[in-house]
Amino acid sequence: MTAFARLQRRRVSPLPYLLILPTFVFVALFTIWPMLLASYQSLFLQRLNMARYRTPTFTGFQNYVELFNDDRFHQVMHNTLIFVAGTVPVSIVLAFLFAMLVNQALRGIGVARLFFFYPTILPLVSAATIWMFFFTPDYGIFNTTLRALGYTGPQNWTGNPNLALLAVMIVSVWKNAGYYMIFYLAGLQGMPVDVYEAAALDGASGWQMLWRITFPLLRRTTLFITTIAFIGAFQTVDHIFVLTQGGPAGASTVLLYYLWEQRFEFLNVGVASALTVVLIAVLLIFTLTNFLLSERKEDAHVG
Amino acid sequence: MKKSKRLWPILSLLLLALLALAGCAMPVAPAAPAGESTAPAAEEPVTIQVFYPVAVDAPIAQILNGYVDAFHAANPNITVEPVFSGGYGDVKTAIQTTIEGGGKPPALAVMLATDIYDLVNAGYIAPLDNFIAASDPAYIADFLPAYMANSTYDGQTWSIPFQRSAVVLYYNADLLKEAGLEPPTDWASWAAAAQALTVREGDNVTRWGIEFSSDWPYWLFQPLAIGAGQNIVGDDPAQVFFDTQAMRDALQFYIDLSQVYQATPPGVQANWGTGPADLASGQTAMIAHSTGSLSSILKQADFEVGVMPYPGREAGTFASVPGGGNLYILDGASDAEKAAAWKFIQFLTEPERVADFSIQTGYIPNRAAAFETQAWKDYVAATPQAQAAADALQYAQAEFTVENLGEVRTILHDYIHKAINGEMSVADAMAAAQADADAALEPFRQ
Repeated sequence: MTAFARLQRRRVSPLPYLLILPTFVFVALFTIWPMLLASYQSLFLQRLNMARYRTPTFTGFQNYVELFNDDRFHQVMHNTLIFVAGTVPVSIVLAFLFAMLVNQALRGIGVARLFFFYPTILPLVSAATIWMFFFTPDYGIFNTTLRALGYTGPQNWTGNPNLALLAVMIVSVWKNAGYYMIFYLAGLQGMPVDVYEAAALDGASGWQMLWRITFPLLRRTTLFITTIAFIGAFQTVDHIFVLTQGGPAGASTVLLYYLWEQRFEFLNVGVASALTVVLIAVLLIFTLTNFLLSERKEDAHVG
Repeated sequence: MKKSKRLWPILSLLLLALLALAGCAMPVAPAAPAGESTAPAAEEPVTIQVFYPVAVDAPIAQILNGYVDAFHAANPNITVEPVFSGGYGDVKTAIQTTIEGGGKPPALAVMLATDIYDLVNAGYIAPLDNFIAASDPAYIADFLPAYMANSTYDGQTWSIPFQRSAVVLYYNADLLKEAGLEPPTDWASWAAAAQALTVREGDNVTRWGIEFSSDWPYWLFQPLAIGAGQNIVGDDPAQVFFDTQAMRDALQFYIDLSQVYQATPPGVQANWGTGPADLASGQTAMIAHSTGSLSSILKQADFEVGVMPYPGREAGTFASVPGGGNLYILDGASDAEKAAAWKFIQFLTEPERVADFSIQTGYIPNRAAAFETQAWKDYVAATPQAQAAADALQYAQAEFTVENLGEVRTILHDYIHKAINGEMSVADAMAAAQADADAALEPFRQ
């Protein structure tokens, strides 16, 4: 095809661009524009609870300097790291196990699927209210169970600085594992049966099939789930409002919660915008790394 | 040509979609405020919105709608649209995002009394002095001083008390009687009663002497500090009193309740939500809680419920602190809307209506005249605890509010938590709280 023909061909097909235009407008309006706005605002000193700093004043990178020198910010990043590293792998492994479990053709499997998926459809705030009672000292279900097992250690989940973050992580895993299960289940149901038949004929064990066939074929699903789980881990904070309010003494404050605190409690628009930029940067770096690594693997695989 | 013909329907559809999108995206520009330049005629019809939260277990929406209907009957020119907006935080966030997004805020809102400095500094609310000056001086003087303590700033009045509560101590009077105890009169007898009423079976506690929530502690701790002789806030809106003997003693008393008397669970407690039910079911003999929980406790309990202010450190002294929401007029409203909002405020705070609202919700009447109404007198004759709750207010001092409230409050909470959880000594924690708070308040003192 000549260059001219190619150009002509491109010229006569505006339809694809038109079709993605609404999406593009939405993304630009609700994603790109707020991102640019936050980056811009992060360079200004603006505090809504101070009359003389109500209108923004340019301060360069002062908000970032303030943030990186702030002990609270270090504590928050530390908590966020633990939260993400703790909840993402566990939810994904659980999601996979659930999916394997409910992928079997058994009677009543629909009920089991609903059982695992149920946490996803519950609003997180109301679910957290129920969890609050599970975590209740003395007669909460967690402590009565632990006591029945002979454990008499610390009973106070949400008020204990060593357990508060764990408590909100448990709720997070409970909430998300069933959601990610759906993607694995879809992946498992779309598996080609003949590959397994061939493997069975060759005398492969169930374990070998799992490692050599199921996992590699689900790699794209895993990539997708890892990405949304990672982003989700940064976004899931609703239950923290109910369970711990980020406490005690900030022990369960994660990045997005801190952002809310700075923006709506401390009314510090500049620092909140700087935190937004940090959040976007972290998510962008992870998503790109994840994508590039897996794409490279794909190429290597094909090559 | 053929191709482009086929494209036309698609193109026009897309255009339509875009137009619809643009319609969604653009905030609907508020109609030009006609009343701003020219003084509005009194007869001109005006519509105001009222944003309000629901923070207690009572049909607030239904009650307010009833008042609005009565108001419409008396003021045919004014239309009031009550808008339920979630909790206190949601109302504030809704108003904040509306104003900063360039939208028009409601004319009237119910927000926390303690939000005053943040709201003034942000320029969201309008002072009420002109309205107050134009009305009967007896009106503003009738509101309880403990409630008005959080309504003034910079020499002006910014809010009118509305749904107000206070911190009190609830106790199971039957259990006290059984143990041969009188209601406590100072910290020592309070702690002794809590200790005596704690019941253990082996390692298990089947009944605590007292439950005292500390996960969001400033409100329940304030009466402890006041009872030890020094509130944590004073007249200067940029000053706090965290590193005082009173606050150290208050914190130590709380820690001693678990460490020394073993009458309350150790560590930071998140039992605000379960407290009333725990008291009613006999899981605990006393709770520190809001007067707002009175009706739900009375409904559940099958024993005599006692209500009193906190005993103070010294014998015969008592302490409490007010809480709850006030009525604020938003600055973004037109003059006509502000006048209508003020009219509605006065309507809501008529003594009869205040008494009715308090009886239906469990809030404490916000003005003296309401206590003199027949409805209130009949109510407390049947429910003497309601009068006891209201009486606690005479020992109340201003609720904790300060410039830069969100940050300073977080500092206080963090160090209280650290002291309770044993990460810092009481003295170190309060010294650090004072230092951090002073640093956070420094820019506000200039």
